[in-house]
Amino acid sequence: MTSRMLQELQARIGQDLTGFLPELILSGAIVLLLLLRFVPGLERRHLGWAALLAAGGMLYTSILQWQNLAESASISLFSGLLVLDTFAIYIKLFLAVFALLVVALTMMTGIPDGDDSGDFYVLLLGATLGMSVMASANHLLMIFLGIEMASIPSYAMAGFLKGRRQSGEAALKYVVYGGGAAGVMLYGISLLAGKFGTGYLPDVLSFVAANPTDPVILMGMVFLLVGIGFKLAAFPFHFWCPDVFEGAAAEVGAFLSVASKGAALAILGRIALGLADVPSLMIPVLAVFATITLTFGNLAAYAQTNLKRLLAYSTIAHAGFMMMALATLRPEGAGAVLFYLAVYLVMNLGAFAVVAFLRNQTNSEDLRDLRGLVSRAPILVACLGVFLLSLLGIPPLGGFAAKFQIFASLFESAQAYWNAGQTNYGNILFGLLLVGGLNTVLSLFYYVRVLKVMVLEKPLEEVEGRESKPLAVPGWQNAYVIVLSVVIVAMGLFWNQLSQASSSRGIGTFQPRVAQAPPAQGAGN
Amino acid sequence: MSNMSQYLWLIPFLPLLGSAIIAGMGKNVLRGASHWPCILGAVGSCVLSVMTFMAVQAHEIPLLDEYVWFRTGSVGDPASVQVAFSLRADGLTAVMLITVTFIGTLIAIYSSSYMKGDPAYYRFFMAVSLFLAAMTGLVLANNFILLYACWEGVGLCSYLLVGFWFFKPSAAAAARKAFLVTRLGDIGLFLGILILWSQYGTLDYQGIFQHASANDPYLGIACFLLFVGAVGKSAQFPLHVWLPDAMEGPSPVSALIHAATMVTAGVYLLARTMPLFGLCPDVQAYVAVTGAFTALLAALIALTQTDLKRVLAYSTVSQLGYMFLALGSGVQHERLATLAVVAAVFHLFTHAFFKALLFLGAGSVMHAMGDVIDMRKFSGLRRVLPTTHWTFLIGSAALAGFPLLSGFWSKDEVLLTTLRASQNGPYATLYMVCFISAMATAGLTAFYTFRAYFMTFWGPEKIPAEAYAHHGHSHAELPEKPHGHADHGHAHGGHGDSGHGDAGHGDAGHGAVRLESGEVMLWPLRILAIGALLVGIVLGPTHLFAHFLERNWVNTPDGFPVSMRTDEAPHPNLILMIGSGIFALAGIGLAYLAYVKNPKMPAEMMNSAKRMYGLSRNKFYLDEIFAAVFVRPLQAFAHLCRVIDQMVVDGVVDLVGQFPSMIGAAIRPVQNGLVQFYALLMALGVAGYLLAVLVR
Repeated sequence: MTSRMLQELQARIGQDLTGFLPELILSGAIVLLLLLRFVPGLERRHLGWAALLAAGGMLYTSILQWQNLAESASISLFSGLLVLDTFAIYIKLFLAVFALLVVALTMMTGIPDGDDSGDFYVLLLGATLGMSVMASANHLLMIFLGIEMASIPSYAMAGFLKGRRQSGEAALKYVVYGGGAAGVMLYGISLLAGKFGTGYLPDVLSFVAANPTDPVILMGMVFLLVGIGFKLAAFPFHFWCPDVFEGAAAEVGAFLSVASKGAALAILGRIALGLADVPSLMIPVLAVFATITLTFGNLAAYAQTNLKRLLAYSTIAHAGFMMMALATLRPEGAGAVLFYLAVYLVMNLGAFAVVAFLRNQTNSEDLRDLRGLVSRAPILVACLGVFLLSLLGIPPLGGFAAKFQIFASLFESAQAYWNAGQTNYGNILFGLLLVGGLNTVLSLFYYVRVLKVMVLEKPLEEVEGRESKPLAVPGWQNAYVIVLSVVIVAMGLFWNQLSQASSSRGIGTFQPRVAQAPPAQGAGN
Repeated sequence: MSNMSQYLWLIPFLPLLGSAIIAGMGKNVLRGASHWPCILGAVGSCVLSVMTFMAVQAHEIPLLDEYVWFRTGSVGDPASVQVAFSLRADGLTAVMLITVTFIGTLIAIYSSSYMKGDPAYYRFFMAVSLFLAAMTGLVLANNFILLYACWEGVGLCSYLLVGFWFFKPSAAAAARKAFLVTRLGDIGLFLGILILWSQYGTLDYQGIFQHASANDPYLGIACFLLFVGAVGKSAQFPLHVWLPDAMEGPSPVSALIHAATMVTAGVYLLARTMPLFGLCPDVQAYVAVTGAFTALLAALIALTQTDLKRVLAYSTVSQLGYMFLALGSGVQHERLATLAVVAAVFHLFTHAFFKALLFLGAGSVMHAMGDVIDMRKFSGLRRVLPTTHWTFLIGSAALAGFPLLSGFWSKDEVLLTTLRASQNGPYATLYMVCFISAMATAGLTAFYTFRAYFMTFWGPEKIPAEAYAHHGHSHAELPEKPHGHADHGHAHGGHGDSGHGDAGHGDAGHGAVRLESGEVMLWPLRILAIGALLVGIVLGPTHLFAHFLERNWVNTPDGFPVSMRTDEAPHPNLILMIGSGIFALAGIGLAYLAYVKNPKMPAEMMNSAKRMYGLSRNKFYLDEIFAAVFVRPLQAFAHLCRVIDQMVVDGVVDLVGQFPSMIGAAIRPVQNGLVQFYALLMALGVAGYLLAVLVR
């Protein structure tokens, strides 16, 4: 009897561990990286290759999972703490690809150097591990743990430029702010868990859906959203973002802006789609959240002259964009977000990479020092143009396809709500569509201004009568940004494959639930 | 040959590759050798086209349908539309491919000599190569979206090549005019495509053809709009005005794009969509009338033009009118519709040969005459340019419909089709009128063609001074011409002057200064001349062409729902043949009388019918009417818009542009770097959200 139970337990643990393989690889790599420090001869070597291998292993295992998991399958791991579905795997694929690209970027820019590389990659992989836990978290506890596992290494990475005062300041602000947000979120979680006696996310969400007006539950939900909003850098929980991005290295900025947003959106998506039956609760909250974040990000980006600060506000605005699609509470919206994330990864990473490369050459990230740069570094500026125009959403670049999907999902959802007689929600979503359109116009000004400064204005040296020399950008760096630009263009031209992965397979688990939802709701009424 | 499908994409790709190579390396690396990628691409494409043709001949329909470009809606949604890079070659496509790539190859070769020394040599071949890619793509496309993309592509190339010498204001204006006027038609085409899409939920030819039925309320409108697109592209009344001006481009361009291929895209479109047009007799009547009217109008204008290339341009407009007349006659039943397509495409095919020949001949004349193309400034060139002369003669005879030459056979089929359409049906009388008009036009065609021929190659030998200025440079090694001053006298000697004593004398002298073009230019002329002589008689009376098209186009699944499949061959109507032959000969004879025998006659005729002459000379004032009705009001409107734009819109935009930066500056202090302050705002934010959620 006991032996059979033991066997069963063993089998289940085996299954759990197989499903957890990408994360296990990361954990192994973290331990390995720490131990490599003690291997004679490796103390001062650059350990980027080990991190590359780890990210590659995660990517490979995630691809295997992606191929083998049925579209609507949802496997619960570790007795329901985590869930493995195509949605989670899509996010993990996204994280793995991104980690791979960021490690490659850091190996090119020389931040970190050989001395620090072990520590840096431990932090980077650790944060990635936390984010992939966020991606498949199915329990309030795991949500908290994931967010903290992602945050704490991020704090250290923000302060990684040890000699710079700004960097330390940024890290400290980040810690304080993150600590506050974590406290609020934990309070919310304890409210919810105390109210319902469980932290299992599907149960919690169905209880919330059953009592959408209970003030304690509402408070718990709002506090939970604070924690997610902090990772997303959504208004008014974004204050850390510009300061941290300015203080930290551009590579770290790239990592934080893309990866943590992706993971946070995964949690938000799970919660939003889980509450699809109570649009009265979620749609207004998310719509307001998204509108303010988007508009604030775009407006604040105007006055910026530091490229990293400008990009920080731009990432805030993009988070608002993606939240708009989640405000639909429908799988189309989630699919659009998944697509957007993939494009956003490439274009945002590209923009930050150009900033990092330029910093290496000019020691400046200020727009005023980069005047007339096109004659000095034509390839970098041309590629930056591609990234910025894609962030803006100009066809035929990937950013256009991504924005298009967001708008399409908003429009379709608005129509669906209208058809279902829920006119006010349709109106809200249609309003969001207008907000998104207007904000796209707003963002035009500051993205194009960067290009104007770099292309149309005369170089500083020329104005001062000195000779302006071309920057000696290494070929690898040029190749890196060229590859990313080509990918962006390709994503804008041939988005069929990707959109099928994101909008049909990626949201596989959400599809049937929503298909069944209307009759269930009808019966309830 | 069975796997031709896999190679279909190479037909447009090779010229595209050539174009890309020239674009990348032409300016600095290839320079004077820039024609090679273009020629090689065209030759490769031509070989593949012939292979495709043979595959089709073996009753195969190569189809490349693998790559899905995009789809709308979600998978499995019946309303979703999938657009593929789908290429397909049936009989119609095969004929078009052969025409485009064969003529294209010859013209690329010809141009390598014609354009020699031009500072933008590479740019020319880049555009020509790109054009070949777009044009072959257009005829290979298997859905309307791809067709439309290529349709715009050829329009773009036409724009680039008409305005090739953009530093000449007239060329720049002509390019703009060509682009804008054809765009007008393209809007129609696009709307037509959208209607078809909305009605049938697909963009594939086959899908639409299968679902279409004569009862569809929107089908007529869609067909009419498609026809509007064809009218723009194929220069039919009233959108024909761009084509004569497009002669500002280099002559090989006129031959390739504005005679043999691009302008026939409209004919191709209507032939391709004949299964739809066949269902709309009203639209078909409109097509036929437009074609007949355009043919007549353009022929009348061509009578009095003095610019050799413009005569040819109007004749192109006129001949395209014939093709539309034939297409418009495809009414009542599938049999006649099939005949209509065969007649139109056959005329398209023969026309491509002789008109390309004529334009290349005109180019050769222009080349020799130092870019002078006004027929009043030269004459009697038949000894100076012997090869050009006899090839031009063959081309003229073929165009005029001289019995047994290619134009004769194909024009005959057009006339025959119209005649059949006029035998019954609600529009019988209308088709009869069209038929009579087309017969009259045949006579006019013969007259104006030979008028141009006689004016150029007969009469006293007269060569403009520019010819020597031009050749003096390019043939510096030749002995200095002995009659330099005499030539000057010729140039200013006025026209119609038969009493020039030293005409024969000067002849020998000029012979020493070789004005005839080089062999690279002459060989394409010879080959095209053989084509103009023979394609008609080989393919026409033997029904080879008709059978090929019928078997491989109509009897395929995308053709008509063929209910009446008889093996009745299009009987050549002997009386009709004799009649049209007489008309052609009469026109030629009249031209001979007026311009060789009795050179004073034109002037007398001109005086006796001043009004008519003026009308024709000024192209019936159509350009002026257009200017008054469309251009000037639009200009005024544009001016108004500009004022509004500057005063109102710009002001608003400036305001909008400043507004965010003002707000940006206003909210900047919020981000003041103080953690305590951030924490306060965060707490306030949480409180705000909570309040909003709870109080609601």
